[in-house]
Amino acid sequence: MKKASMTVVAAAVAALFAAPAPSQAQAQPQAKRPNIVIILADDMGYADMGSFGGEIRTPNLDSLANDGVRFTNFYTHASSSPTRSILLTGVDTHLNGLGNMDEWTAPNQRGVPGYEGYLNNRVATLPQLLRDSGYHTYMVGKWHLGKQPDQIPAARGFERDFSLLDGAGSYWDMTNFTLASPLSVFTENGRYLKDLPKDYYATKTYTDKLIGFIDASRGDGKPFFAYVAHQAPHDPYHLPREWRNRHIGAYDKGWDAVRQERLKRQIELGIMPAGTQLAERMWFLPDPIVLAPATRAVLGKKMELYAGMVENLDFHVGRLVDHLKKTGEYENTIFIVFGDNGAEGTDLFASIAGTPGTRDFLYAAINWSQTHPNAWGDPGSYVGYGPMWAQASMTPFSQYKGWLAEGGIRNALIVSGPGVKRAKGSINRGLMHVADIMPTLLEVAGAGYPKTLEGRPLPALMGKSWNRVLAGQAESPRTEKDYLAWEVFGNRAVRQGDWKLRWQWKSFGKGDWELFDLATDPAERHDLAAKRPEKLKAMLALWNDYVRANNVILPERSPFEGLAEKMPERFPDDAGFPPLIYKRQFVPPKDMVADPKP
Amino acid sequence: MRIGSVAAVFLAVALFLPQAQAQVPARFYWKTLSDANAVPLIYQSVSGNTNPFDPSHHVTAGATFDATLTMAGYARTFTLLDRAAMAAVIVPMGRISGAVTAAGSSATQSASGYGDPMLELNVNLLGPKAQKNLPDVLRYEPGLSVDFLADLALPAGEYNSSQVLNIGQNRWYGRLGAPVIWQLGPWVPGRRTTLEFLPAVWLFGDNDDYVGQTLKTDPLFQLDAHLSRDFTERAWGSLDLAWYSGGEPSINGVAGKKLDNLGFGFTLGYQINDNLNLTFGYKSTLSDKAPDDLRMDSFMVTLVFGWHPLLEGARRLQGEK
Repeated sequence: MKKASMTVVAAAVAALFAAPAPSQAQAQPQAKRPNIVIILADDMGYADMGSFGGEIRTPNLDSLANDGVRFTNFYTHASSSPTRSILLTGVDTHLNGLGNMDEWTAPNQRGVPGYEGYLNNRVATLPQLLRDSGYHTYMVGKWHLGKQPDQIPAARGFERDFSLLDGAGSYWDMTNFTLASPLSVFTENGRYLKDLPKDYYATKTYTDKLIGFIDASRGDGKPFFAYVAHQAPHDPYHLPREWRNRHIGAYDKGWDAVRQERLKRQIELGIMPAGTQLAERMWFLPDPIVLAPATRAVLGKKMELYAGMVENLDFHVGRLVDHLKKTGEYENTIFIVFGDNGAEGTDLFASIAGTPGTRDFLYAAINWSQTHPNAWGDPGSYVGYGPMWAQASMTPFSQYKGWLAEGGIRNALIVSGPGVKRAKGSINRGLMHVADIMPTLLEVAGAGYPKTLEGRPLPALMGKSWNRVLAGQAESPRTEKDYLAWEVFGNRAVRQGDWKLRWQWKSFGKGDWELFDLATDPAERHDLAAKRPEKLKAMLALWNDYVRANNVILPERSPFEGLAEKMPERFPDDAGFPPLIYKRQFVPPKDMVADPKP
Repeated sequence: MRIGSVAAVFLAVALFLPQAQAQVPARFYWKTLSDANAVPLIYQSVSGNTNPFDPSHHVTAGATFDATLTMAGYARTFTLLDRAAMAAVIVPMGRISGAVTAAGSSATQSASGYGDPMLELNVNLLGPKAQKNLPDVLRYEPGLSVDFLADLALPAGEYNSSQVLNIGQNRWYGRLGAPVIWQLGPWVPGRRTTLEFLPAVWLFGDNDDYVGQTLKTDPLFQLDAHLSRDFTERAWGSLDLAWYSGGEPSINGVAGKKLDNLGFGFTLGYQINDNLNLTFGYKSTLSDKAPDDLRMDSFMVTLVFGWHPLLEGARRLQGEK
């Protein structure tokens, strides 16, 4: 009974977002609530899509951007499962179970509510509430929020799913990374899979499955919510052969040139304001112009593969969009597109493959040793593109995934479809957060957020609905007093207005608080902590407020402990220094050249 | 991934060099980095009813020859109008002995010394451009590659006009061909597969002093085919087929039998290190029971040393040598 009445209310609220013009709507007995498609790209960078300055060809994603709005000030978390947990619950990680990633739970966090490493049962999920309000709920792709039967997508609100429960794995089969956990775990509609479909390729199969789910229930009058959590372009860069060679030699020019070109396009597009500076090239990376052509070719080929991954992802997004257009659903579908965190700059394979003589090294020798460049993309190959290209993906920002610099948490966001009343293709600079998606979509569906779930009180939603922003009635869902905060692996950050407070492990940070004015310094080059003590103090008060409100327990162990000792000492990247390596052959004036005298 | 290693693998594998003048093994025409060098050393043990030093395969009915053949040479790859090219010189040497039984009487002859040196030029016409630098090597895949091949043998080998059996052939001869490499599947060491063809025509000048007579030979068409496959990154094998047609000889105007024969064999190859390649092969003619059928079988071992100044220098700097 409760569900039925909720559906009626939902239909009334959702009429606001329905696609047809008022005259058409009047002719119909009941406006259908909009479908919702969330396209989550795994590790895709801020600057990768063409509509955000990338040279990578993403016509289908760009088409959504041209039909909708691009947001340039959108934040996720710094890594995969924390972002996903917030997206699906609207609740801070330290409350929803992902106070730390499952893979890195610290000894002092074990057993503490909020740090379970999976989506705990004290939160409601977006699919659960949408399903209860009359939506079909579908998921395809990467879950990464728990593997036990009560933690899988089917148990958390999805009617139908085809899901990779792990954080990563082969795109071709069930091969995972270690001898202790050699197989990726998949579920389909709540059942654990023994094998994968024939001709499995992750991005293609996820899309095929979703189209099948949509078609199976089409015509029953219910809208659908589809969570399309693509594995791409997360490493390993597994890619069909025909997608690997679309940018041959294009990246041999090196990461600095690509970053500069991307920033130039971002300024031309209006993504970044004129005068924006690039973040420092990471201190441990060389200027690519001093590298041998062969070295640049090898490193460039990794970026070629990554570009292919993104283009392949775009192609399959296009298949989904085309299908919705053919079936007449496109105009009534809200699309939300973004990446789950900054681009991946850490060599994940090095950390999981172990060293010679270890268990995982032997496993990798058998399963992950296709190292020849011509094998890159095949089963058994493991290619990631490294910190140099991750920085290019995150142009113009500093650092990458895992860190709370802008390069770790700022992401490109596209929203299109009914409810978006802003000019098509426009750009918005409002302060947005992944936690906002839950309240936004509940409002779109007219679903509401209950105070309790199965008798347990639910934590308050931390996000702000975007609907006034999408309708053009506000420029940001946040006031100048609202703040955002993050903590993972012991790295911490707060943003309020244009100010950002940040604490990071050395040498990515100082092992101390740093303060940045993102309005003038989005690349976080200038630490103002010493110059603005009053602002530092005010921001620290916000941090303490966040810690108290969300039971933040800083981990006593971290993947970044001891990092400073392993890395080269950090120096600024002063352009042109040292002049020695940039000196060219001296060419004397022609009229002063002579042969030696006998 | 060390660039030097990548290129060296390509270099060492591709610098496979020939053995018999009439035939080359699979992978002989694979391309490598321009300005690379190779020195082949080829040992062959041959028996049959034709002189293996003579690419016309002139059959002496009722004869039985045994030959020990060694060839040494030098080859260099280079770029010609943006295409991959290779120039080589090969000098055969060795000894041959044999017995001929005709009209109830037998004769035994033998010869030894240097054979006719052969110059070879091969230029790629269709397929990827020349590998002028290491990035080109990195990106090379043959796909479907077609070359132009020209060989010319100089009549400078040991020759005794008083006997039939000789190391040198006392005439100019050469070959025009079109080596074809067809890549099947990925171009990844350990998984490479190719189908290779060498259609060619041998052209022969006259030997005006063939035991006091004039030996003429019509053009001989030859088709070599190889199905080659990596077993590991360093080991490979091939099935080899050769077809000979034409080459009708005439002595003082008296025509002999033209060839129409098949040979079948196999080759096993192993890359010892970045510089050294070793192969072992066996080949034998098929349907060779009639006295005037071409009959020949051969064991062959090749050792090829290849190098490139860039890679050698890089290795010195890296302290690998």
